[in-house]
Amino acid sequence: MSALDIILAEAPRFYSWWNLRFLLIAVGNTLLASIAGCAIGYALGFALALARLPQLVPLAAIRILAILWVEAFRRIPFLVLLLLVFFAAQFAKLEAPLAAIAIAAVAIRMSALAAENVRAGLEGVRPTQWEAALTMNIAPWTVLGRIVLPQAWRVILPPSIVHVLSMVKETSLVSQIGFIEITFAAKMLTQRGFSALLTYGTALILYFIVSFALAAFGRWLERRLIPDRGDRDRSPPQSPAPASAGLAARH
Amino acid sequence: MNLQYGQIVQYLPDFLWGALTALWIAGLAFAGGLVIGIACAALLRESPWLIRAPIRAYVAFFTYTPQLVQIFFLFFALPEAGLILSPIAAVLIGMTLNAGAYLTEIARAGFAAVPQAELDAAETLGFSRAQTVWHVITPHIIRALYPALSNHYIIMTLGTSMAAIFGVEELTGRALNANAISFRSIEIFSVVAVIYIGLTIIASTLLWAVGRALFRVKARVF
Repeated sequence: MSALDIILAEAPRFYSWWNLRFLLIAVGNTLLASIAGCAIGYALGFALALARLPQLVPLAAIRILAILWVEAFRRIPFLVLLLLVFFAAQFAKLEAPLAAIAIAAVAIRMSALAAENVRAGLEGVRPTQWEAALTMNIAPWTVLGRIVLPQAWRVILPPSIVHVLSMVKETSLVSQIGFIEITFAAKMLTQRGFSALLTYGTALILYFIVSFALAAFGRWLERRLIPDRGDRDRSPPQSPAPASAGLAARH
Repeated sequence: MNLQYGQIVQYLPDFLWGALTALWIAGLAFAGGLVIGIACAALLRESPWLIRAPIRAYVAFFTYTPQLVQIFFLFFALPEAGLILSPIAAVLIGMTLNAGAYLTEIARAGFAAVPQAELDAAETLGFSRAQTVWHVITPHIIRALYPALSNHYIIMTLGTSMAAIFGVEELTGRALNANAISFRSIEIFSVVAVIYIGLTIIASTLLWAVGRALFRVKARVF
């Protein structure tokens, strides 16, 4: 029997109401793990990036700890990190639900990626801006919030959506600890006797739809928030240019 | 219960061999992916719509779906269509196709790095097409691409850990085996994590040194 025959023969039985409902819940779980994990991870990564700023954190020990955290966790494969979190939770007798373990692993991974990204954004702002503001006796946190971040976030935002996208794909590894996301759902349906062509094929299509939608959302957000992206790679604008000027420059 | 690292010292040599396996799996898949990537990026530049569309679809499909599920599909679904792959073959093919899609995107950015003025200058000086490619285009592309390619190789080295799921005995696979025997999970996976950290630091330092010596690329990798 050819592959097409198998798919055609099994499709009506496979795409039943209950299986579709099951897959939809799995899509929800994938989104839950990646979006909640990314949100927590981004908050953590933001704090880590700030902890590396000498203008804010005078204590070198804290800066070094932040660097070590970032360098270590971006160099551990997600699967190994996930197993570490899983066994550490067991070791500490936490009895954490699988969703919490998945979210924690995504958050730790994301914190390292986000910290690098935020740091790149913050370093894109010239140090003279810090010096000038601090000389004028503006409090360091006010300099950050009012002067540095408004310039830095244009550099920070576009890669963050790429990161969320990559975490959606990375969560497929969470299937290995038994959290019912898209990949694990496909695995379960395969074990129930459905053709792997159908189950994994459907999983691939679901991932594609989710990623495609996220990427489109990211592009939309970027266009809406950063109309003059063309200036991004050059020096940060000294005075905010009117949006229309940026658009004109791009065309 | 407490941590006992003494019990897992015996597995260390085994783990280090596994790390080597991870490096060559990543190396093979990267080499294959690079060929696909450069070919696709070149085809995207100058070919009719009929060739560009399937390449775009290939890149979108492989970058928008997880590598793990791609390999699952190769390993579990293709046998139903009559093609049976061994675990290592499925992992290598999956990683190569995946790398090809990402490297197409990276190579496209590299091709864009060649300044039009230099191409015009080469034409004015009467360079042949081969001379232009060798003396003008290649140096620019290598310098523009080297950091991104090095990064991708290291990301792929980390990505080889998913081969363990299919029973390939690279570093993570050997860790899973050792874990099944000794049950010293935290000890094993923390040591394995440290090996991965060391591995990527060594690899990125080597790549940086090679890039600096051969192509005068100064950028830090990974």
